[in-house]
Amino acid sequence: MIDAISVQNCTKIFGDLTAVNNVSLTVPQGELFGLLGPNGSGKTTMIKMLTGQLKPTQGSIAVLGTDVLKEPIQTRKIVGIIPEQETPPSFLTAEEYLSFVCHIRNLKNPEERIDTWLHRFDFVDQKNTLCKDLSRGTRQKLMVAQAFLHEPQLAFIDEPLINLDPLIQRVFKDFLLDYVNQGNTIFFSTHVLEIAEEICTQIAVLDKGHLLHTGTIDEVKQSKQHLESFFIKLVKEQ
Amino acid sequence: MFRKLLLAMIKEEWRMHTKTAKNQTFAYFPLLIGIGTFVFSLFIPYLLSILTTEQLFRYVHFIFVFFGVSVGAFGLFGKEIMNRRFGQISLLAYSSRALPVSEQKVFLAFFVKDIIYYLFLWIIPIFSGFLLASPFIGFSIGTSFIACGSLILSFLLGLSLVFFLSTVYAHSSILLLLLLVGSGVIVAVSTLVYSITLEFFLFPYSLYYSFSWIVLALLLAIITVSSLISVVFVNVEYSSKKKHYRNLLTPWSQRFGFSHYAFYMAKDFIDLKRSEGGLGKVIFSFLLPVFFTYLFLSVFIELIPGIESVMIFAIFLGIVSATIYNMLTEFDSFNPYLFLPVKVSTILRSKINSFLIINIFSVVVLAIAALTMDQIYYFIPALLLFISIAVFMLSVTVYLTGLHPAFLMYDSKVFIPYAGILCPVLFVATLGAIIYPLSMLASPLLLPFAWILFKKSFTKWDQWTPVSI
Repeated sequence: MIDAISVQNCTKIFGDLTAVNNVSLTVPQGELFGLLGPNGSGKTTMIKMLTGQLKPTQGSIAVLGTDVLKEPIQTRKIVGIIPEQETPPSFLTAEEYLSFVCHIRNLKNPEERIDTWLHRFDFVDQKNTLCKDLSRGTRQKLMVAQAFLHEPQLAFIDEPLINLDPLIQRVFKDFLLDYVNQGNTIFFSTHVLEIAEEICTQIAVLDKGHLLHTGTIDEVKQSKQHLESFFIKLVKEQ
Repeated sequence: MFRKLLLAMIKEEWRMHTKTAKNQTFAYFPLLIGIGTFVFSLFIPYLLSILTTEQLFRYVHFIFVFFGVSVGAFGLFGKEIMNRRFGQISLLAYSSRALPVSEQKVFLAFFVKDIIYYLFLWIIPIFSGFLLASPFIGFSIGTSFIACGSLILSFLLGLSLVFFLSTVYAHSSILLLLLLVGSGVIVAVSTLVYSITLEFFLFPYSLYYSFSWIVLALLLAIITVSSLISVVFVNVEYSSKKKHYRNLLTPWSQRFGFSHYAFYMAKDFIDLKRSEGGLGKVIFSFLLPVFFTYLFLSVFIELIPGIESVMIFAIFLGIVSATIYNMLTEFDSFNPYLFLPVKVSTILRSKINSFLIINIFSVVVLAIAALTMDQIYYFIPALLLFISIAVFMLSVTVYLTGLHPAFLMYDSKVFIPYAGILCPVLFVATLGAIIYPLSMLASPLLLPFAWILFKKSFTKWDQWTPVSI
């Protein structure tokens, strides 16, 4: 089976800042992979490179066997992406936006797919509200929905739970666990360690663009450490 | 506090532009404008062989009012356009709720900053170029200085009036309508009953030719009062009373079913319909400049025998219509598409399609102009000229600026080729339209070049790595 993600010697330089420094990484399919790191460690840059939104300065990246550098559009066709900051277009309603994404992705039965997500995240009553008038949390729900409308085998999620209320966080975490149990892969970036400890199967720690650690969450647990102390120790030793 | 706020906003503006126009090339923009004006000014003696000095100065005063009108229209767009243009950037102008300063004070600083910014970016460089050229073209420096003064007043008049009108519109579209109708009636009665010429209302020009303290005081009062009213009653939040909207995307995309980009086009039109300013956007950024141009041509150019004003109107209409592309891109940055399987060229193509649809309206405007100017027999060459100019200008804009025309145009690396390509084309078209209007039947020769530029644009911008602005 091909790896979900394969990164070889990947570096990204912005002017005099090396955001990601010679990172190599492999994520097998069926994992809930957590990319951890402090603010500004290069997590978002890494996700943007993995999804073809940014070209690496050097290195190679393959996602589900697709060369991301050569085929960025194909990459974004087969994966789902929840970006950290982007918000849906201001003047479309929630329903129109999901319908727009269904059209872009050329999906069959768009109404059915949209309805599933409106109900799953309990925002049917806001489907006719303009995206700009939605609360941050509802906008975040919409961004999650757009990423999973086409049921991708691999989804990239950049800090997805920050704006969600505890009830929806639970629904979303259960969805992710179920999704991975079906053989799909989630690449999850966060600095909220409790969430990573709760749902991730594998983790990697990135700091100042350097990859400090990769391994399973069980390895951390077996070392009788909480992820928080493990993480702090790693980053401070750096 | 006000001084600090103003300085911070000026720094903010500078950093936004220098970040977008890489390598500080934005800083060279005023220099280019100065050099361009100097070179253009050297040709003034040739212009004076077909125009009188008075006509030329009327024309230039008109252009400066028009420029002020374009700049002032910003007041209408408010916060949303800034969000679309700059992504998630927070600007001081929209931070009044987080700062211990009133919204009025923040906006006054923003207004003053905008005036300073346009003075340094455009007005002072233009004047410098003109003043430097004055000794070579037989204009006395003193006269040129006075002209510069009245031109600044023209700019401020246009800016403050449209800012005032857009503030009125933000509170009540009916009040704006009443105000416009009322002004129209006053102007009509003045000209028809009291035989006051229209140029009288171009106060700075009247001032330039026959100085009067009363006119100066009246002019300064209009500028100050309308600016103050705008600042006091500023409304940057166009609160939408409507909370629920029916789905327009599907029915509108069916209307555009003839195009591959039906959904994207439907989104463009929804953006225009639902975004802040609503119909006002069309009035202030399209109809108003077009109306000013029409008025100008009707009143001034018709005085010059042998010039078919509808042909010149077609060129102006082409130039103004080309800016509709800016409006289409203002409300739709590429950011929401970055994480979807969409090429930049797809969005460019859809915008070009939307542009062509909107310009059906421009064709109607041209037909009305040809009828009312009593030059319907020149409609076909004028139409071909309009289409050729609008599409060619669009192709150059798309090629050079992609989806960011409003910002990248200030990068001198972009502006030099833009002006270098368009100025000769517009010059030849204007000359042809004046000397032998029927020669403009050949203007569609520009379209194959536009086609090539579009093709090249798609390849170019698909290679582009988006930068967060």
